[in-house]
Amino acid sequence: MNRLPLLSIMTWAPFASALIIMFFARRRPLLVRWTSVVGTGISLVASIWVYWTYDRAAAGFQFQEAFPLVPSLGISYLMAIDGISALMALLTAIIIFAGVFASWTTKERSQEFYALLLVLVTGVFGVFVTLDLFIFFLFYEIAVLPMYLLIGIWGSSGDIRPQGIFGWAMGRTGVGTKEYAAMKLTLYLLFGSAFILVGMLALFVATGSRTFSFLELQTMQFEPALQTWVFLAFYVGFGILAGIWPLHTWSPDGHASAPTAVSMLHAGVLMKLGAYGVVRMGMGLLPDAAVDWAWLVGTIGCINIVYGALSAMAQTDLKYVIAYSSVSHMGIVMVGAATLTPTGLNGSVFQMFAHGIMTGLFFAIVGLVYEKAHSREIFKMGGFGAMMPGIATAFTIGALSSLGLPATAGFVAEFLTFLGAWTSDYPWWLFPAVIGAFLTSVYVLRVAGQIFWGPKAPDPHFQHLPDAQGPEWAALGILVFVLVLFGVLPSIAIAPVDTATGQLLLRLTGQ
Amino acid sequence: MTFETLTLLLPELALFALAVVVLLGGAIRRGVAMGWVTLVGLVVAFALTFTVREGASLLDGAFVQDSLALFAKRLFVASAALSLLGSLTLRTGAFARRSAEYHFALVASLLGMAVLASARELILLFVGFELMSIPLFLMTGFLKRDAVAPEAALKFFLVGTASSAVIVYGMSFVYGVAGSTMLSEIPPAVRDGPPLLMLGMALLLAGLGFKIAAFPFHMWAPDTYEAASMPFVAWLSVAPKAAGFVVIIRLYLAGVGTAALIWTPAIAVLAGMTMVAGNLMAIPQQNIKRLLAYSGIAHIGYMLVGLAALSSSGVAMLLFYLIAYTFGNMGAFLVVQAVAQSEQSDRIEAYRGLAQRSPLLALAMLLFLLSLGGIPFVAGFWAKLYVFWAAVERGMYGLVFLGAVLAVVALYYYLLVARRMYIEAPERPEPVHVPRLLGVAIGTCVIGVVGMGLYPAPWVTLAQRVAATLFS
Repeated sequence: MNRLPLLSIMTWAPFASALIIMFFARRRPLLVRWTSVVGTGISLVASIWVYWTYDRAAAGFQFQEAFPLVPSLGISYLMAIDGISALMALLTAIIIFAGVFASWTTKERSQEFYALLLVLVTGVFGVFVTLDLFIFFLFYEIAVLPMYLLIGIWGSSGDIRPQGIFGWAMGRTGVGTKEYAAMKLTLYLLFGSAFILVGMLALFVATGSRTFSFLELQTMQFEPALQTWVFLAFYVGFGILAGIWPLHTWSPDGHASAPTAVSMLHAGVLMKLGAYGVVRMGMGLLPDAAVDWAWLVGTIGCINIVYGALSAMAQTDLKYVIAYSSVSHMGIVMVGAATLTPTGLNGSVFQMFAHGIMTGLFFAIVGLVYEKAHSREIFKMGGFGAMMPGIATAFTIGALSSLGLPATAGFVAEFLTFLGAWTSDYPWWLFPAVIGAFLTSVYVLRVAGQIFWGPKAPDPHFQHLPDAQGPEWAALGILVFVLVLFGVLPSIAIAPVDTATGQLLLRLTGQ
Repeated sequence: MTFETLTLLLPELALFALAVVVLLGGAIRRGVAMGWVTLVGLVVAFALTFTVREGASLLDGAFVQDSLALFAKRLFVASAALSLLGSLTLRTGAFARRSAEYHFALVASLLGMAVLASARELILLFVGFELMSIPLFLMTGFLKRDAVAPEAALKFFLVGTASSAVIVYGMSFVYGVAGSTMLSEIPPAVRDGPPLLMLGMALLLAGLGFKIAAFPFHMWAPDTYEAASMPFVAWLSVAPKAAGFVVIIRLYLAGVGTAALIWTPAIAVLAGMTMVAGNLMAIPQQNIKRLLAYSGIAHIGYMLVGLAALSSSGVAMLLFYLIAYTFGNMGAFLVVQAVAQSEQSDRIEAYRGLAQRSPLLALAMLLFLLSLGGIPFVAGFWAKLYVFWAAVERGMYGLVFLGAVLAVVALYYYLLVARRMYIEAPERPEPVHVPRLLGVAIGTCVIGVVGMGLYPAPWVTLAQRVAATLFS
């Protein structure tokens, strides 16, 4: 065991750099960026270290740090990770480290931008590594709230608007503008947190033993009626963040309007945070209800897969395509979790990771393309592959992972999930899932073909576009490397995850 | 009257003396001098509340200095002092000419609240109410040459007197059945539960509903807030409501025991309606004062949730909520005053780009709004959490859920203000001028909001201690 409080270092390093940026980096943009790189770099090193030294034979929660905060209410600063959260923390660290490089060129008010971004990341890390429900909720709120300002100030409004009555209505209500998206996202997610809060308080009062510790709550048997509705509350509350249908509509608007690093982080990590909440809090604390409600979770997951894919096909705005593909892919995560089989659950967690990296890569590329071509309209662009080969290659690798080509992380994740679905109590889930994978290949290949590999667009603005430069290469390189690495060697992720999912399922189904 | 009696009444006597001094002194010195005298007097009165022996009872139990009374008095005096810091920066026009009148009315109203907080007898209660309310009417119409002030004062006056009439009417029933005006005589009578007594108590609840501006008795609040002068509104939005709650706690909970349970549905319904109405009506407001007025109504609903829990922890959380609300709401109104003085506008548009013009002022406003919205690390989060907690302990999941969802609605209109301040570009580059004393008042509220948010424990302990004495 290591004596260093690695989890705290991982969580608070970005926060410390946010403070440094706020107080010492006024009008020194380069210092702002390098402080962010160092802060998130420390987190990255810590998370890799934790991931690498996690004792797989011993399994369970490790790297524990605990001291009481409010003993009278049973609130304590309890940090520990198992296989699932170790992988999620690693994902967060990779995405934000790449995100800092991807938004290197932010000009306007960059000091505040980076500070808010780093505060947000602290919240995300905190959610993944804490085991105290109350602290979990606090971190959850930190992860949600800065988003309002990040999207509202640094976001971009969509410039594609339908004709006729819909266009008029959108103009009247502000749909499609960054202010609208920021407000919608914030309210949806806080609406979800209202459910979570009520569920948490109900559990806390039901125990009678005055504790918020996950480890202690885990050992309790809650009565079935309470389990039933608290699970639903958690499912809806966390599910909103995971983008479950029909509560997903904040996600396309929000992700399309957000600045690059925020889209990466939000689609790549925060949506996983919702799925993680369902798995950890819902399934971990309320095993009976989780089994009872598995049909609902899985069925809605199936709707997500197909609905998200169909919506993605209909978009003409590049960023919306990626955003809807997230809705579709999160469906795979939820289906995998609902199978309640070791294979399916491993696939679900692996899909969280794979999709996180992949969507992070996509949003980074969309950001780069937009910055150079100032367009997000798919059918106005074309033939960019010749001018920006690096970006085009990265996008294509992401696309191949997205449709589940072997040797990419996406393949492993989808394969495991499908296998789990087939062996579960609901084998028919396989069909919508496979249809979704097919539709995915239609829309991503269409986009890749149109923008990068097709004939050159006639628009004179698109004649001389530069490829990625300097720090942007770092962002793309890291993400592509991870995507392929985990596709070729999936066991480095599955081995630790398996230790955690096995224990979880033992409580759920007794197998 | 022995000497000991007088020592127990020291805070009230100090306020009375202060009122006389200010009124007479106003004849000699004009300008802000009387304001400073009042401020010093309030500090003295605040200090004197600590000399009183807690739990003392006077006049055969009609007047008590229990911990609830002392808690409430400290809250009234402290909030009045904060508002005074704001009004001391107003040195022109009526505030210069009639400064003594203004401060006399303030202290007189404060004396009424102090009596109210201690009264355990119906007649004394009513006298306290009138002593509190009449100066408030005067202060609302203080800027009498202003076009809207007399209208608002008249409206406030009519509604206020009508509610007083309802209260007296209800009291007459209660007296008729209980055969005594002492509050301690009511619980035994309630246990038998004659319908006439219930009618009396229901009328009293309606009358008190006006005082705390609970839906559907809330209509006076937005108009009055909009027209009255600023630092006064900050105080008006806090202190009289706190006084109303103290009376409600005394009438419906303290010493009644299990018989109080029959009020749970009434108070729960009142709480639910007030939260819904306040939050929904706040959404379309374009005037920041009206917005805060409606949001204040919604907050009354949350406090009623704590009351509906009818438990020691429920009352404790209500008191904690009152402190958090005092800092958050007064702070927000004081920022509104600063902006109104500089921009001559109460509209939300006036906040456009405030973050780039005056970053600190905008940050303070953001903190107050987040606190009112119930966001972690500022006071309001704990206030809402604790109130919900108390209600969950009683199994009132429906009410808690409604409150939690409406808190999101509330955040919508608070974020609209935040959007003006942070996202939109300013129309003019120069910073908003904040007078020094106003800055001190705002700073105090910021310290309160953030301090309570980061370390709520001492305040919770205080509130729990006060509530525990009521239920022993």
